[in-house]
Formats: sequence, C-alpha cells, structure tokens
Amino acid sequence: MGTRFEIVAEGDDQTNLRAACEAALAEIEEWDARLTLFRPSSFLCYINTHAAARPVQLDDDLFELFAESLAVHHASQGAFDITLAPLMRAWGFHKQTGAVPRDIDSRGCISAGASDDTSRSSPASSGDLPRGMSDLELDADRRTIRFRREGMALDLGGIAKGHALDLAASILRESGVRCALLHGGTSTVIGINADRTGLGEDHWPVGLGVEQPGITIKLRDAAMSVSAPHGRTIEMDGTRRGHIIDPRAGAPVRRTRLAVVIAPSARLADAWSTALIVLGQRPPDMPDSLTTLIARETEDAMDWRVEGAEPELFSLKPLCGIVESEEEYD
Amino acid sequence: MTDCDRRSFLARAGGAVALGFLPEFATAAPRPQDGPLPVAVIGVGRQGRSILGELQKMEDTATVVAICDSDDRRLRSGARRAPGAEAFGDHRAMLEKRRDVEAVFIATPTHLHRDIAVDALEAGRHVYCEAPLASTIDDCRAIVAAARNAPGLCQPGLQGRSDPVYKLAWSFYRADAIRSLVFMRGQYHRKTSWRTPTSDPARDRFLNWRLDPEVSIGLAGEFGTHQFDVFHWFADRYPIAVSGHGDIRLYHDGRKVPDTIDCNLTFSDGAHLQYNATLANSFERQHEVLCGSNGAMKLAWTHGWMFKEADAPTQGWEVYANRQQFHKDEGITLIADATKLAAQGKLKEGVGLPHDPLYYSISDFFNSIVKNEPVVCSVEEGLRATAVGILANLAIVSGEDVVIDERMLKGT
Repeated sequence: MGTRFEIVAEGDDQTNLRAACEAALAEIEEWDARLTLFRPSSFLCYINTHAAARPVQLDDDLFELFAESLAVHHASQGAFDITLAPLMRAWGFHKQTGAVPRDIDSRGCISAGASDDTSRSSPASSGDLPRGMSDLELDADRRTIRFRREGMALDLGGIAKGHALDLAASILRESGVRCALLHGGTSTVIGINADRTGLGEDHWPVGLGVEQPGITIKLRDAAMSVSAPHGRTIEMDGTRRGHIIDPRAGAPVRRTRLAVVIAPSARLADAWSTALIVLGQRPPDMPDSLTTLIARETEDAMDWRVEGAEPELFSLKPLCGIVESEEEYD
Repeated sequence: MTDCDRRSFLARAGGAVALGFLPEFATAAPRPQDGPLPVAVIGVGRQGRSILGELQKMEDTATVVAICDSDDRRLRSGARRAPGAEAFGDHRAMLEKRRDVEAVFIATPTHLHRDIAVDALEAGRHVYCEAPLASTIDDCRAIVAAARNAPGLCQPGLQGRSDPVYKLAWSFYRADAIRSLVFMRGQYHRKTSWRTPTSDPARDRFLNWRLDPEVSIGLAGEFGTHQFDVFHWFADRYPIAVSGHGDIRLYHDGRKVPDTIDCNLTFSDGAHLQYNATLANSFERQHEVLCGSNGAMKLAWTHGWMFKEADAPTQGWEVYANRQQFHKDEGITLIADATKLAAQGKLKEGVGLPHDPLYYSISDFFNSIVKNEPVVCSVEEGLRATAVGILANLAIVSGEDVVIDERMLKGT
C-alpha cells in the first residue's frame, strides 16, 4: 500500500502487547501482498488477469471487501468505484508522476488504448476504457467475482488500507489489547478504547494536520478516514489536480479539498471518504450512522460542513469560513 | 461414515487398523488431469494460511476441500480463507472421512508433523510437509520410513530447490562459475519476538511452541534447516561437525530459547559454513553466500547475485547482464529466463521473482504428482537438512561441539 503503518498500544503485559502488535502488522503486510497492484504475485493481479475469462473464487474476507465496495458504489451514486485501474494507469497515477493522457476528450474521458506508455506510436482507438462497477459480477452463493468486459482491472487504493486496518484491529482485540491507536499513512485511523491512555480523556484526540490546524476529532472505538486530493498531482487547465479520480467524469476531482468520515469500520470510512471527495456532499443514501466533515472550495471561501450522527466528535474551533451543521461551533 | 461403511473400511484396512487408514493408491500412476486435485491443509496458522493463499492462485490445479486445525480459533479463521472446505479438528477424522483428498499440506507446529505425515502417507495421500521435517531425528526417520513404503509422494517444504533464482544459481555453481569453494556463510535476521499473542493462558503453550524448550529446535532448527539444505544442495556435501553459541540479547521475557545464535559447521574437505540468526535485528535479512576462488554468490530467496573476482575468466553472457552495486562490489543479477528477457529488451523486469518462493515449491509438488515424477526435494534430503538443524541447535543449547556421524543423516 506504499505507506507506513503504526500502532500505539497500552497495557500491563508488555510481552503480549508487543506480540499482538507484531501479529497485527504481519496481518497488514499479508493484505498488502494480497491486494497490491505492483506485485504480479498478488491475488488482486490474479483476479485482474483471470476474472474476464472465468469467475474467480474468493475467500470470505475478500468477498466481503468486494460486496462492501459494491454497496458503497451504489449508495454513493457511483462516486466510489474499484474498477478504475485502467483509468488510473492512463492518467499516470500508477507511477510517481502523473500526466494528462493524450487521448482525453472534452468530458475528461480517455479513449481505449490510451496509456502512459510513451513508446506507443499508433493512434488510440475509439471507445471507453473497460471499467464500471456494473460490469463487475459478484456471486454470493459461489463466492466468486467475474468481469463482464475484457481488459477490466481493479484498483483497491480507496479501500484496501481500511480493510487491512480492520483486520489488524481484530487481531489486537482478540489478543487482549484493550487500548490502542493504529493508522495507515496517517489518513486512516482506528481508535480502540482510550480509557487508559493517561490523557484524561475517554477518546483518542486525532488532529487533522498542518493544512487544517485546530481541527481535532474524538475517536473512541471507531475508525476515521481522511481523503484529500493532494499528494500525487498533475497540471491540467492551469491548475493542479490530485490523484483521486471522479469515476463519473473520468478525470481527477476538482473542488473538494477534504473529506473526513467517522465510521464503525476503517473499510467503510476509507471507501466513503473517497466517495465524498468526489461528490463534495453527502448523498441521500449515505448511512446516517456515519459522521462526516467535508471542506469544499466556494468562490470566495471554504465551505466546512459537519453532518451525521455524532457531529460533536469534531472540534473545529479556529476555523475560518462557513460551518454548517446541526450543532453550533464557537 | 455409517457403521456399515466403517466396518467394511476397517476390514479392508487389515493390518493398518491400528492407524485406521487404507492406502488408496495401489500404485502411484500418473494422475489423469481430469480436474483440480482435491487437497487438504492441516494446520492453518500463518504458514497454513500462506499455503492457502498460494493455492488460491492455482484453482485450475488444486481445490482445497478440507482444512484441519486442533485450535478452534485458527480453524475458524482458516475456514474464512478456504470457502467450501470442510473443517476438521483432528487430522485422523479428516483422512478417514475425506477419502477424496489426494494430497495434504502439513503446516502444524514442527513437533506435530510426525504423526500427521505418517498417518497421511499410510493412508495413501501425497504429502507436502513443511520444513523442518520434525523436531527429532527419530521422528524424521519415521516419516522417511513411511514415505519409502507409501504409494504417494512426500515433499519436504525446502523451497530453495524450487526457487527459479536458486535453480539458475545452482546451474552456474555446477558449471564451476565460482571455482573452488572457499567458505560459506548464511544468516537469518529478523526483528520479531517470535511470540504469538493470546488473551487465553490455556492456549499460550500450544501457540508458543517455538519458545518451549521441550519441543522447540530453536532458530537453527526452524530457520537454519531451510538454509542448510541450500548449502547441501549446492556444495553436494554435508557437515561432519558443528559448534555453536546462543544468547538472549533482546527479549528478556522469561524465555529459555535463545533469540540470537551463531554456529560453525565443518565439512569433510575442511570447508566451513558460518551461520547466524537473530530475532533482535533485521539487517540484511535472510541470505546465503558461497565464496569460491573465482567469485561469490549471494542468494536472497527472491533475488540472487554473482560477484566475480578480477582474475576470473570472462563468460559471454555476463556482458549483457544486469548489475547492481553493493558498496565496492558489483553484483551480476541472477535472472531466470535472462536470455529471453534480454532479447525482448526486458531484462530489468526480470529482477526478483514474480511469485513468493512458496508458490514454486507447491507448483513443483503438483507437477510431480501429475507426471508421477520424483519430488524436487526428496524426503531423505529433508531428513538431512532437519537433522543438521537439530544438531546445530543441540550444539548451541549444550555449548558443546557435536560430531555429525554420517549415520545420523540417514533413514533407518
């Protein structure tokens, strides 16, 4: 997953605590090896190679991961999509340096055959790149996955980190760890019971970082994911655009600066924060139980919106701009 | 199995009643390729799950129809990785009920291998047994004896012999690429407590068998075995004596099994192998080095390099080879299918293995079954590597030099 994972854990039995953290990190490494696009031995590459020809058998964990991806896709009106690998490749986001594809149309869509392969000399053929969750077939009875179109490929960049963290957190809990904070790349975090942290709080206070000074999130037995389009960026139409693609437009997202989701699972938080960066607002079908913060650029200010079941989890004191939520912030 | 079925089964089993299994393969004829091979995985802890993960990518070749683990939690977690497989808490019940299972993978704690491997072989199943083969030389011999009398194949999980990088290096070594062997060096470095966490004290001893001096064969046995086999295979010789030392350098948590060891193995021609392993530092990880008068080879499982001495003769192929700098040494990268890749201008893409070494080992096992060919690493070689690991551990634990009699490395 190309990022650093860390665990902070507290407890009396230091020996078991260390062993538990090692086991949790080993679980993350195992899922990284299974879900990466950058190692041909990964099971994800196996699916991408074979699923157009025949259904590929999944295990329970993977089936649940894909089923949840599909559910978030539908609830987010298509804003979350795990079939974007061909598009990500075409935009160059599978390399360190992105580039606007040469075969991009007025909607930002790319023609089939477009790629970041600079050695390609023949002109691109017409037609869309093979992608779309509607062409992804999950068979719940047989526990299989199949692509309905040749050339489709999955990219789990918007959900894999959360999935691995959830399983790592399960290992910590099963091993008797009662108090821990674990994160992947600082953007997806799980807080397990904060009673014993010595912080005098019943939650883990998680700051949003240098770009959003003063925003603190209270995390307790919940997961949080932050999505922002910065990081790998490309220059387009005179502006920098980030690495998150709007599946509906086929191009990187524009206006949303930040989306934070607090959810019962990191997998759900991860997927929904990606979807909200694309949408810029909560869709009607988003579960009420998820709490969100969305920061969006307007013409003259930044629009900050907190919504969901527990808006009090956010502390937004020094914010400039507009804050709209059910609760009042001072 | 109904009572009637059970009676007729036991009657047919004849002299094997004590074990309750009937060899199903009168002869190990080549297996017709009429569908995936039904297999079972016994022991679904982390290594068992790794095996399940590789088998998942071989669905045309094999189907996991059963899994087995005596630990309920592991069995439940293993079942999530093997949809459709029947779960068993006892391997004998599994072998008896799932007569369709043609091959079993054994990934239990090392000291439990013997009974499972012997039972499976006597029941006519092909056996892939993780290395080390067992935790005592007697147990290894029992497995070797069962394998010799069984119609099925038995392959120890010594992955070096299936590893494409190692196969290529072996061919160079045997072609005299580094000339006369001067010395050998191996290491296994990792930062881990080697402890399995649990909130249930009743499970602690079962899960932490590696740290139990009564059954553990230590770092030399658990990791060294894999690497000693590489040296045996390349150098085509076995050590005659071993001395060693072990200590607890980091994990002062009440354990008795050393977290850091070093040992020196002597071969009959005077060559030496220096081996060390630690759980306290991961620098340079796991690798084997063979130094000869014309050059050296460094093998690191997914990668391999050859370093030439300045006075070594030039061989044609190396002119086009991919190279990597290690401080003042320049390594020629060992790349499987290098000639083909070079012709396609894709030599660099061949650096490193596309799959985990375990994948190649399992693939070789299936190939041997389908083609009725000998396994890539014989059970006798498994015994030798394991016995050297066990004796090295004995030298480390006792602090005394151990003479390795040739007879110790043979089956009965």
